[in-house]
Amino acid sequence: MTWAVMAFGLCWYTIINQMDTKEIIRIEQLTKRFRDGEGEFTALHKIGLSFGRGEFAGLLGPSGSGKTTLLNIVGSLDKPTEGRVTVLGKDIARLTHKESAMLRNRHIGFIFQVYNLLPVYTVFENVEFALLLQNFSAGERRKKVMEALEWVGLAHMPNKRPDKLSGGEGQRVAIARAMVKRPEILIADEPTANLDARNAHAIVRMMKQLNKELETTFLFSTHDEKVMGYLERIIRLEDGKMVSDEWVNVKTKKT
Amino acid sequence: MIRFLLKGILRDKSRSLLPVLVVAIGVALTVVLSGYIKGAMGGIINQNARFQTGHLKVVTKAYAQNSSQMPVDLALLGADDLLKKLRKDFPQVKWVDRTVFAGLLDVPDSSGTTKGQGPASGIALEMLNRKSGELKRMNIESSLVRGTVPQKLGEALLSDDFANKLKLNIGDSVTYVGSTMNGSMTMKTFRMAGTVRFGNALLDKGAFLIDIADAQEMLDMENGTGEILGFLKEGVYAEEKALRIQSIFNENTDPHDEFAPTMQVLRDQNNLGDYLDTVNAYSAFFIGIFILAMSVVLWNTGLLGGLRRFQEFGIRLALGESKGRIYRSQLVEAFLIGMLGSFAGTCIGIAVTFWLQIHGFDISEYYSNSSMLMPSVIRSEFSANLLYIGFIPGLCATVFGRMLSGLGIYKRQTARLFKELEV
Ligand SMILES: Nc1ncnc2c1ncn2[C@@H]1O[C@H](COP(=O)(O)OP(=O)(O)O)[C@@H](O)[C@H]1O
Ligand SMILES: [Mg+2]
Repeated sequence: MTWAVMAFGLCWYTIINQMDTKEIIRIEQLTKRFRDGEGEFTALHKIGLSFGRGEFAGLLGPSGSGKTTLLNIVGSLDKPTEGRVTVLGKDIARLTHKESAMLRNRHIGFIFQVYNLLPVYTVFENVEFALLLQNFSAGERRKKVMEALEWVGLAHMPNKRPDKLSGGEGQRVAIARAMVKRPEILIADEPTANLDARNAHAIVRMMKQLNKELETTFLFSTHDEKVMGYLERIIRLEDGKMVSDEWVNVKTKKT
Repeated sequence: MIRFLLKGILRDKSRSLLPVLVVAIGVALTVVLSGYIKGAMGGIINQNARFQTGHLKVVTKAYAQNSSQMPVDLALLGADDLLKKLRKDFPQVKWVDRTVFAGLLDVPDSSGTTKGQGPASGIALEMLNRKSGELKRMNIESSLVRGTVPQKLGEALLSDDFANKLKLNIGDSVTYVGSTMNGSMTMKTFRMAGTVRFGNALLDKGAFLIDIADAQEMLDMENGTGEILGFLKEGVYAEEKALRIQSIFNENTDPHDEFAPTMQVLRDQNNLGDYLDTVNAYSAFFIGIFILAMSVVLWNTGLLGGLRRFQEFGIRLALGESKGRIYRSQLVEAFLIGMLGSFAGTCIGIAVTFWLQIHGFDISEYYSNSSMLMPSVIRSEFSANLLYIGFIPGLCATVFGRMLSGLGIYKRQTARLFKELEV
């Protein structure tokens, strides 16, 4: 009897626990093929994954292993060929152009390898751009943008132009732009690939802090050793296939 | 958002300056050419009307068929009655007599032998009757180079070039030698009262101007005239009005009488009809070609900047802008650039038009042998439609070009746009 109660309790605990960490990305049997001349090329093969709120996870693998392809599909920039990808309860394959634009606009932030700022706009305007698509007043926008610039330590140079920024500063503006709308998910495709060691560490540390403070789920792709040290979960890809999925560094966090 | 786009356009020179410049140049060209074509057309029509064709012209049927030979033997008789009738039936038109004739001018020396000779193209007009308005219509007073306008019968005006060739001074005698209406030879000596230069190659070669009364006597055509010219009182050629008057008049003439008067409109004469049609066709063709060329140019400008723009579109898509919105923003941008360029181009074009209205191009060299009366200086003519004519191609081409190049946003897969974000 006691065993039964205990078993039931354990089950209950697990369910509660899972609801608490609430799954926000679910990838099932995902296959992506690209047309490649006459034939087809399989970039992703039967991937199954799930991510919960507040995770700080990274995709690792050599160049061409399918990291970008996977992130693009999760970010609703591309569609699966087979399988199902659900992001925040929405089936990516079924979204219209408009719906996927809406999903990106409200819930997903992007950071790319080259910190792609719009060159003609100032730091402030680059960050503000993300908010223009939503109905904030000018005053609200200003407050949010300055707050985001403070997160990344750039509140003192809102009027600088991108070409006057160092690589590290540029990438920090990109983070501010991605984070200013407080998305549930942040996708960062090799964010440190173009940075020196000092800047790379600073950037990842900054992201980790935002991850803790705002409970944003971070999804990286990288082959940068420096980033790996901060990840809590590492998923390895090779030739479009998932070869491992392990939790790391979590013990150090708990102690 | 529009404010945001405007900022982008203004700051990015390759996005603003270059296309605006291209549009402005194209629009300026359109405006200048339209103004010039209109000026040239108006100038030529005006010149022809004043000096040769009138807006309307009454001659005998036989004369109409041989008008290029200036056939005084086919002149209208009973001109007074005909004039009276015309003035009564068509009071909206100013009617005047004119006779054109050809002959020889002979300059005798004191002993009566020939000092110089040359072929003359004579125009006899109501020069002494100041109410006829002919002096003003033919621009005679302002064209005077030497001497004065004739004050009495027996005086003549010569084109200045002609007078110089004959070494004539004011007050010298010059004898006209030609044939009368009936084909017999006639001579009459005139006193040269003055010389004129019309600024028209054809007329300036050998013009010889006398009063119509002198011509009637000299050519033995009492109460006759080669032609009766009609000028619409508004001063400009209004084709529909002219055609209406012509059809009323011609209905009442005897179709079988070779010497019955018949009325022509400006378009019927000197190939001006063909000319008008050609010019209209050319200007329409030109505008059409221009729109096409501009579209291609702007399309290419769009595509050249494409890679750069696609990267920007990629970022904007990632930030959650929809493709439709980006496409529309491109059209708004094109519209702004088109407006800006058209505005600048129109200003430039109108400035040049005003300049050409004052200075003009001297084309007398190219047309010295033309049978059509051409003003030797062609000037532009400003008109209100130049204010908007450039906006049509300027805006159409820019927006249309961008519509085409912008389709790439839809054609490319979203993910492809991001490939360009990778190094
Ligand atoms: N749009 C596409 N069309 C064709 N092949 C593609 C496309 N996108 C990616 N690929 C191919 O898919 C494979 C995985 O690419 P990618 O996801 O970019 O790898 P990674 O980001 O890990 O370097 C590569 O071989 C690449 O050439
Ligand atoms: Mg990649």
